[in-house]
Amino acid sequence: MSSNLDAPRRIVILGGGVAAFSAASELRTRGYDGALTLLSPEGLPYDRPPLSKGYLLGTEDAAKIALVPEAWYAEHAVDVLAERAVALRPSEASVELGDGGLLSADRVLIATGARPRPLAVPGGELALTLRDRADADALRDALAPGARVVVVGAGLIGAEVTSAAVGFGAEVTLIDPIDPPLVPAVGEALARRLHAMHGQHGVRTIASIPVEISASDGGGARLLRLADGSAVAADAVVAGIGIVPDAALAAAAGIEVDDGVLVDASGATSNPTVFAAGDVSRLRRPDGTLTRRAEHWEAAVRSGQAAAAGMLGEPPPAFGAPWFWLDRYGVHVEAVGTLDGRFGGRVILREADGVPQAAFLLADDGHLLGAAAVDLPLLIRAARRIMDRGLTPDPAALADPSVPPRKLVP
Amino acid sequence: MSEGIDVGSPDEIEEGTAKVVEPEDSGFDEPIAVFRTESGCFFALNDTCTHEEASLAEGWIEGDTVECPLHSSSFNLRTGKVLCLPATVDARTHKVAVEEGRVVLYPGVDADDAARTAD
Repeated sequence: MSSNLDAPRRIVILGGGVAAFSAASELRTRGYDGALTLLSPEGLPYDRPPLSKGYLLGTEDAAKIALVPEAWYAEHAVDVLAERAVALRPSEASVELGDGGLLSADRVLIATGARPRPLAVPGGELALTLRDRADADALRDALAPGARVVVVGAGLIGAEVTSAAVGFGAEVTLIDPIDPPLVPAVGEALARRLHAMHGQHGVRTIASIPVEISASDGGGARLLRLADGSAVAADAVVAGIGIVPDAALAAAAGIEVDDGVLVDASGATSNPTVFAAGDVSRLRRPDGTLTRRAEHWEAAVRSGQAAAAGMLGEPPPAFGAPWFWLDRYGVHVEAVGTLDGRFGGRVILREADGVPQAAFLLADDGHLLGAAAVDLPLLIRAARRIMDRGLTPDPAALADPSVPPRKLVP
Repeated sequence: MSEGIDVGSPDEIEEGTAKVVEPEDSGFDEPIAVFRTESGCFFALNDTCTHEEASLAEGWIEGDTVECPLHSSSFNLRTGKVLCLPATVDARTHKVAVEEGRVVLYPGVDADDAARTAD
């Protein structure tokens, strides 16, 4: 559909996350030499995974998590404005800024990301959340030795915050109705192993949900009442219960939105001059069905790159199986593809001394659908190549801890 | 820093793997990974990924690239060029040569971008 449009000369990207940055970088790599502006309210783009890891722990500072050195932007003629767009005006080929000024744009990429899902219970606004650098700074202050910290949500963010809080010497309670979480992402065996690490590190885990948060006394302490009737006192409450795409600008501009800005594989929205990428976007397949929003770092990179191609009227690159990582209590976990066995396939475990190290999901025809592993990153690199090359691995070799990852890929 | 260091015989580094030369042995201020590709070429880069603390020698070596074992940034072994996020800074190269049947590393000397084969 973009073939009817003139080649872009003024591209404005809304957002300063890795999707926005990846799109800008990819545009220049593809030879786009027109104007390129990032409207990044927080200034120069930075990497978010460290916000629940090294940055939260204080082992990495703001300079360390910058996506590229500042000089990169001048070298690549990318203007970064620490401003927020307040409206899209695609029919006027512009974007409206907070002061009412218009910035001309013949293509716009919405990469505004998402906001933490609010804890929708009375007093839920008392919970801290983690999305940006300021959130991480506030959270770090709350994770003091001996502080009673209650984390609601034991998914990726909640578990990493819990691990960090333990590292700071806080007394942590972790609440999630699902025990164990992350089964679709890493498979049941690894999900159990990972969730059990909380208890092994002195964290109290409760399988319930909060129904109310109140101030229990004048000292700033909170009291969480849970659905199971119990109550937990806390000096700080942190909610990591998912994200809500920041799609208001698209919706206000009449662009199709359904739990995310709907895009095709090249990032195109229902308006041919407006594209979306990253956490704010949601892929609509050619048959019209909607995928689950991918909320991982690599998915944001890829969608930014795809949208860059799309804005230039070029086909999106082919990407392989999706990948993500998590870190907690000093272990590094990676997964590729899916371990969600609800639609078939069989699980192959690789164990050492009875402890699951890796899980593979094999389709009935022998193809690999996904893999996850704890502290075995080369196994995941092998699995990724097996998937991307359409190979059918030997299940016995997958299960055998003495078979090195390189030997799995012919 | 232009003195060559004997890293061993070529056979001591299996194809598709790497050997780390520590600062105390190289005189260079960072560990250096000496890679042997599947086609038998030797290359050397600073071992620590330019993104976070991870050893590139423990990464996935394929063709003339190495993929970091931590966050999957890839680097060109010949040039040190970073090929994908999250790293954005190139890796420093070092010259390696096979001389008189020994792998010789020149710490701190840039690679001349030419493959050095074992034979």
